Amino acid sequence: MPARGYNDAVMHSDRHDTWVVIAAYNEGAVIHDVVAGVKRAGWSVIVVDDGSGDDTAVHARAAGVTVVRHAINLGQGAALQTGIDFALRRGAHHIVTFDADGQHAVDDIPVLIAALADADLALGSRFLGSVEGASRQRMMLLRTAVLMSNRMSGLKLTDAHCGLRAFRATVAPRLRMTQNRMAHASELLRKTKTSGVRVVEVPCTVRYTEHSKRKGQGGFQAVRILFDYFFRAS
Amino acid sequence: MIIRILLLLGLAAIGWFIFLRRNRLPFHLVTMFAMLAAGAVAVVIPQETDRIAQFVGVGRGADLIVYLAIVAVLFVLVHYFAKFVELEHKVTQLTRELAILRAEVERVVPPATAAAEPRATRPAPPPGEPDEPRAS
Repeated sequence: MPARGYNDAVMHSDRHDTWVVIAAYNEGAVIHDVVAGVKRAGWSVIVVDDGSGDDTAVHARAAGVTVVRHAINLGQGAALQTGIDFALRRGAHHIVTFDADGQHAVDDIPVLIAALADADLALGSRFLGSVEGASRQRMMLLRTAVLMSNRMSGLKLTDAHCGLRAFRATVAPRLRMTQNRMAHASELLRKTKTSGVRVVEVPCTVRYTEHSKRKGQGGFQAVRILFDYFFRAS
Repeated sequence: MIIRILLLLGLAAIGWFIFLRRNRLPFHLVTMFAMLAAGAVAVVIPQETDRIAQFVGVGRGADLIVYLAIVAVLFVLVHYFAKFVELEHKVTQLTRELAILRAEVERVVPPATAAAEPRATRPAPPPGEPDEPRAS
């Protein structure tokens, strides 16, 4: 299996062709450590500061990575797509999306990339992997989201909207997201299904901290996401 | 009746507004004024709208006008929401282009002290002089 020992097999220079896209909004408190961790592992990193009111961009630059800055706040979907566009311009072969709040593990990235050997899109799954620090209500909410998401997308996945994903640059045009806010995750799955992108799920570890929980999505936001999904479709 | 004066004034105000912004095709202008005229007729001789209402199967002319107005308002609402979403997409594209462009520019001319001073107040380099690559 390619997943085993892949971390060692990938030479550091190969990792430069993999761009990790990190969309950040007011993450000044944690962004430096998150970015530094990914960069230390040898991946190319692009941080999209989505019009933060704090010093997110400064902290990210201090970690020694390229930062592109939205002049106004547009939302996570728009920020990720900007990062993806930037990575494609720089000749990325593989693109990874990674949350800025530190809930993902850098060690999961090589596993995702390894899964791309015979797939176009690799999605991290909390439910195949593990979740730390989530309340029971949150797990319930997530499971409900998975059921709804599968119904809407027509895919059979174990997780709905894990922020950790990897895909080949060649399928990026087919997965182009037009949803500016959180509905981009559902949009991505819909486009995966309709465009026949080969998708695989990979176990990943999600660690909720007090910080990430505060910024997380509650049940109320689900209504807004559904509204965006159905009425802002393009 | 006072209500007739108020309604006619309202229609006249709309007409004046359209007249001021008459940069559209004459067809638009004519259509708009025809609709305003129809409204004025309905205000002055409301009994006539009853006849039309009876013809299409509504009891009173006032009811017919309310129904038509609701449909018209909903149409306008949907139309402007579609415009709004379209505008959002355009703003997104512009913001994205600007963000990437700025990053490309800063690759050539690094922001020397982005943390220390606001970027907007940083003086532009004098023209003709080649930029010295700043220490990064």
